Amino acid sequence: MSLKRLITTLVAIGAIPTAALADPSSRIALIPGGPHPYFAAWEQAGADAAKEFNLGEAEYKVPQKWELGLQNQMLESLVTQGYNGFLIFPGDPVGTVAIANELADTGAPVIALAGCLKDPSDAQFCMGTDTGNSAYLGTKELLKELGSGAKIAHFTGFLVDPNTQLRIDAVERAAKEEGAEVIQVIADIDAPEPAEEKINAYLAAHASEVDGIITTAWVPAVVASSALRKIGDKRIKMVGIDHDEVVLQAIKDGFVHGTMLQNPYGQGYIGSYAADKLRTGCTVKADAPFKSNALTDKFIDSGTVFAGIDDVDNYVGSMQAITETLFATFESTYLDC
Amino acid sequence: MAIDVRHNQSDAFKDMMANTSQQDAPPRFSITRILLSNEFGLLVLIVLFATIFATISPAFLSKFSLYALGRTAAVNIMIGFSMMVVIITGGLNLSVGAIGVSAAMFSGLLMESFGMPWPLAVAGGLAVGAALGAINGIIIVRTGLHSFIITLATMSIFFGIMIFLTHAESYRGISPVFTGFGRMKLFSIISPLLLVTIVVALGLSVLFRFTALGREFLATGANERAAELSGIRVQRMITYCHMLSGVLAGVAGLMLVSRTGAAIPSMAGQLGQDWLLPAFLGPVLGGTLLTGGRVSVLGTLLGSFLVTMLTTGLLLMQVGAFWVQTYLGLLLLFAVLVDLVRRSYLQRRKLI
Repeated sequence: MSLKRLITTLVAIGAIPTAALADPSSRIALIPGGPHPYFAAWEQAGADAAKEFNLGEAEYKVPQKWELGLQNQMLESLVTQGYNGFLIFPGDPVGTVAIANELADTGAPVIALAGCLKDPSDAQFCMGTDTGNSAYLGTKELLKELGSGAKIAHFTGFLVDPNTQLRIDAVERAAKEEGAEVIQVIADIDAPEPAEEKINAYLAAHASEVDGIITTAWVPAVVASSALRKIGDKRIKMVGIDHDEVVLQAIKDGFVHGTMLQNPYGQGYIGSYAADKLRTGCTVKADAPFKSNALTDKFIDSGTVFAGIDDVDNYVGSMQAITETLFATFESTYLDC
Repeated sequence: MAIDVRHNQSDAFKDMMANTSQQDAPPRFSITRILLSNEFGLLVLIVLFATIFATISPAFLSKFSLYALGRTAAVNIMIGFSMMVVIITGGLNLSVGAIGVSAAMFSGLLMESFGMPWPLAVAGGLAVGAALGAINGIIIVRTGLHSFIITLATMSIFFGIMIFLTHAESYRGISPVFTGFGRMKLFSIISPLLLVTIVVALGLSVLFRFTALGREFLATGANERAAELSGIRVQRMITYCHMLSGVLAGVAGLMLVSRTGAAIPSMAGQLGQDWLLPAFLGPVLGGTLLTGGRVSVLGTLLGSFLVTMLTTGLLLMQVGAFWVQTYLGLLLLFAVLVDLVRRSYLQRRKLI
């Protein structure tokens, strides 16, 4: 059963009253920081949520470039167009706070999705992957395979993203705990060109010195998977991130040990549902069991799970259980309606 | 109107040009000259597009929409000015974004970590902008290499040092007075940031139109050799222009700090590259020549405003996000072609 079908069934069985109470005037916008394959699942998630919860719309709106200014301009434009609920991946965890507060001032619920705003902000909460934990667990999985004394390289995202430092720290911590050594961190490469250039150059010069690779951003995971396939040496073990087809195929073919899956569909789907509920009278529970991370004390973990060769064919199923659990208890756990 | 000194570096040449212009050119403020000016063309385009947007989407003229448009345009215009003052020398400054962010981050540091009052912190940030601009200028005149190469390198250097020193962390301890300024609404519709930009525009207009220094900047850009022979210290002028560019980039960065309430390293994107398009579009659309010697402060202001308005309008019309870039490119091409037609018309009529 697909994730979409599963959630549809859940709604049909358990949440019919919810749909009846939903407000067709709700116009929810899901806005990433810019184009990136990670967010592609939000489009379907919004469409499904709009249909199943009887929302006016839940539209996926992508700024044409990764520019904070462009995202701000798009958000201002969406307010003018009459959107009244916002699910935002912050272009910058601090820089987006001001515009998020302005949106909240219009009465629209704002939820930080997939990435958090730095407290204090007027966002209702943040729902996303616990990036540090994901990097930590991924490194642990890698080192389970390699054992102590291993030398690993870490390929990660942009340094201007504070999550990158969290990932770097988490990988270091996990390596230290397992008696391994991070011999190289290559950052600022979550885009095809720099990733191709730096990863290929590094492996060309130092492949023999590396036992394992951990990647904590989408593009480096794809590029490193391809590079290992090209080298053809399965000695180097790698744990990637996300569910790009290149990475999944490399796992099946034995070039990559596994990947840390995230849950973008669940974020978009449950986020749209929550934005509508908050717009139509529900409030966030004062004693909601939020987690804390480096940015906020109102964090909901949308789930992360390791998928190795045994799980890769059913990676959607791997996330279903987490999404199902989160959705089934979301209202009673986090909202007062 | 544009200020052009491409052909009047020496007094003799100036006299000759003056005589020529008296014989052939229409009076300085003739209606024909105004109607054929770049600035008038931009004004017509602004009115035209505003009418189209307002007709298709009445929300375009809502108070919030106009306020947001003015606020965004204010920063884009300032970024355009930052590039414009270097373009007039025939050079480029690819490091405007990196300088702007570095200046803003330094101000944030002074306010948050040293508890400095915001006027001092702002002055400190602008001083950093001027210093980084001066570094660009000095390297350019000492090496004789084109500013494109030098500022391409310093863009990475400035940004890299800033990221290294700040660990990509933002400064949020900004004075509430300073951040309140960026969020203030005058008459529910005007952002004070727009007023800052207008004041700077007036200052630049005075500089280029009424001061010897401004004329020397333009003369340097028009013809370095001739300017040197006229007694202008060309190398110093180039350095001053880069310093001014650094200060203006710093002003743009500080406007963003005031608007977002924090100094953030990603405010101009990776290496400050997000500022490059607005930096070029405004001056080029406005009629500032890439070869130097000609400046149009009003043109840059109108050009940057037009681009910002076009982006806002296209977003409001729900044009697919990725088409916005295409339309912006088409606009640039359209403007350049219109300018070409205008020039040939003027030449045929011997108006220039």
